[in-house]
Amino acid sequence: MTMVAFENVTLRYGERVILENFSLQVKKRERLVIFGPSGSGKTTILRMVAGFVAPERGTVSIAERPVSADGRILVPPEKRGVGMVFQDLALWPHMSVEENVGFGLMVRKVPKTERKRRVEEILELVGLKGFGSKNPSDLSGGEQQRVALARALILEPDVLLMDEPLSSLDRPLAEHLAHEIVRLQKRVGFTLLYVTHLEEEAAIIGTRRLTIRKHTSSSQTSRPEIF
Amino acid sequence: MRLFTGVIAILFLGLTLLPVGAMVWQTFASGTIALHFDELFLSAQAWKLLRHTILLATLVTLLTTLVGVPLGILMGKTDLPLRPLFVFLFLVPLLLPPYIVAVAWNDLLIMAGFGSGTLSGLGGSLFVLFCVYLSVPTLMTILFLRTVPPSLEEAGRLCAPWPSVLRYVTLPMILPGILLSAMIVFLLSLGELSVPIYLHYEVYAVESFTQFTAFYRFDTATATALPLILVALVMTMAENRFLKKRTATFRHFAGSDTFLRISLGFKRYPLFLAAAFLAGVVTILPMTALAMEAGDFQHLAEAFLASHDALLRSLLYAAAGATLLTFFGFLLGYTLLKRPFRCAGALDPVAIFLFTLPGTVVAIAMIFFWNRPFAQIVYATPLIVLLGYLAKYSALTGRISLARLSMIPASMEEAAQMAGADWSQRLRHILLPLAADAIAGAWVVAYLFILRDVDLTILLYPPGEDTLPVRIFTMMANGSPELVASLCLIMATVTLLPAAAAWGVFVRKRRRK
Repeated sequence: MTMVAFENVTLRYGERVILENFSLQVKKRERLVIFGPSGSGKTTILRMVAGFVAPERGTVSIAERPVSADGRILVPPEKRGVGMVFQDLALWPHMSVEENVGFGLMVRKVPKTERKRRVEEILELVGLKGFGSKNPSDLSGGEQQRVALARALILEPDVLLMDEPLSSLDRPLAEHLAHEIVRLQKRVGFTLLYVTHLEEEAAIIGTRRLTIRKHTSSSQTSRPEIF
Repeated sequence: MRLFTGVIAILFLGLTLLPVGAMVWQTFASGTIALHFDELFLSAQAWKLLRHTILLATLVTLLTTLVGVPLGILMGKTDLPLRPLFVFLFLVPLLLPPYIVAVAWNDLLIMAGFGSGTLSGLGGSLFVLFCVYLSVPTLMTILFLRTVPPSLEEAGRLCAPWPSVLRYVTLPMILPGILLSAMIVFLLSLGELSVPIYLHYEVYAVESFTQFTAFYRFDTATATALPLILVALVMTMAENRFLKKRTATFRHFAGSDTFLRISLGFKRYPLFLAAAFLAGVVTILPMTALAMEAGDFQHLAEAFLASHDALLRSLLYAAAGATLLTFFGFLLGYTLLKRPFRCAGALDPVAIFLFTLPGTVVAIAMIFFWNRPFAQIVYATPLIVLLGYLAKYSALTGRISLARLSMIPASMEEAAQMAGADWSQRLRHILLPLAADAIAGAWVVAYLFILRDVDLTILLYPPGEDTLPVRIFTMMANGSPELVASLCLIMATVTLLPAAAAWGVFVRKRRRK
């Protein structure tokens, strides 16, 4: 089954072409690494899947259902069954780890006891058992990354988007966490779209790789090439 | 979100811009301008008013900027001892109704043996308004110094001493903030009413006020306000075109740990003395003179008993107005950041335009609009005062909210959206808590600006419902100097005590960070 599909997608920011007639299919449980230099449009691809950006032309589908097409968002982000780990992790500083992770359940009005149980479960899964009452700022970079991962996974998404989540960590820790992400993906079974510009990370994570190369044309606009 | 913010935007425009637009329309439609064009705009008196108004505003702007920017660098960038105390002392005159500084310095000069008219005219108005508005460029400089990424200064420090880095790196980067502060001082001075009236210096705002209150020539009052409206419009366009992008939102804001400070070394002693001297002139001397003129405790008690109702109303109006302004300001800031509908960006120039209008002009517009048989529930009640404050000061709370909201990474809200939070949940659980410090700050700023307001309130308050600044202002003509000084001292105390407490909390919080 195709989990994520781009069909003839075109997107421009002003005169700058980000994607042109771009098509892609990502199968269920696949781990696709989107690899390329900064500014090549990798993050934009994730943001289109998440529902923060609509393609100017073409269609984006999730689980074979169109979610945005021709400049319109057809399904809002919260209804796409997609989780995301942001590059800056976006942990809410005014909430504890437990509150950060359980936020999605709270707004869905899941009873408190059930919420607590599921938060504890997911924290254990990412190796943060007993960290619930801590503040995100009290955690190390690796621990914060796991909190962001737990928050994205607690709603059991079909697709998980990760936007250079390990870029701020040192290399040994980043490689260790990359292996953990793979282990977790195999265990939980979500489809993973993973953006990085680091070769080592791409090699560990991906079952398939999408390489984007940016080049500048004579008209001063840049355009990625998809391989 | 689109519907809610759209309704708020329409409500805001209807309550604030519509009265001003209706007044301008009526002024042209009534034929007043055509009938009295020569008298209003070409007579010697009209040119004198224009010359006085522009001259006073320009000189105040130049003087406050020339002194305030170096002072801001000294307070915001160096290791001078007691900086928070100094900043608060420079802030004191801005927190008070401006005429209180004039009264205080007048008392001081009389005590020193000078005549009662020593302070009058252009020189006196310039000096008093310099004391009042000095803190605007000082505070803006301190604020914008924090927006300079330390790495840029560090790169400069590798090859140049601090004075060169300040000149070639720091100052060019904060120039938009300095220009914005100069614009604010210019506009505040342009619309100032109470100080020129007290010190007998004829300016447009006084003329408009006199036409309205003394002769009740409504059309003439609105017509004389037109040049001020024109200046406000030009200033708003200039701000929107040249400054807004660089001043309304901050990409970088340095915390205490990353902020680079200049070590003054032995120069700290003469600079400390210079700062202490300036604080003495601007705040300590006039406040001491007020205390001496007020005399003993009995005078103060009598003054309090005679004015406690007005004092209570001042506090109530300020609290209610600040709450209204914070509510609208936050939603304005949010709407400006997210632009949920077309033309949402126009709300900012509207708010800035209304802020740049003199208070008397806004007040006359409100009276014109709401003084109708069906609108007595607004016109005859304190509601009209609150609507006046909303029109005049929403730019302050809107810009504070916008600046803070722009510093919250978009991913914070997006992460909540991914988690399934709808717009109101994102607002309640994510943005409001993250912007809570700015919301509290916006409330305090609005509260203090309303508490010191005279120009608007003196024209808008319902019969028997005056505020303390208005009562003092009306008593200055025939009240005893001791009573006026006592009332000024009471006003200063009720304003400065909470302001000092808020300042203390702010400084402690920043240190802890």
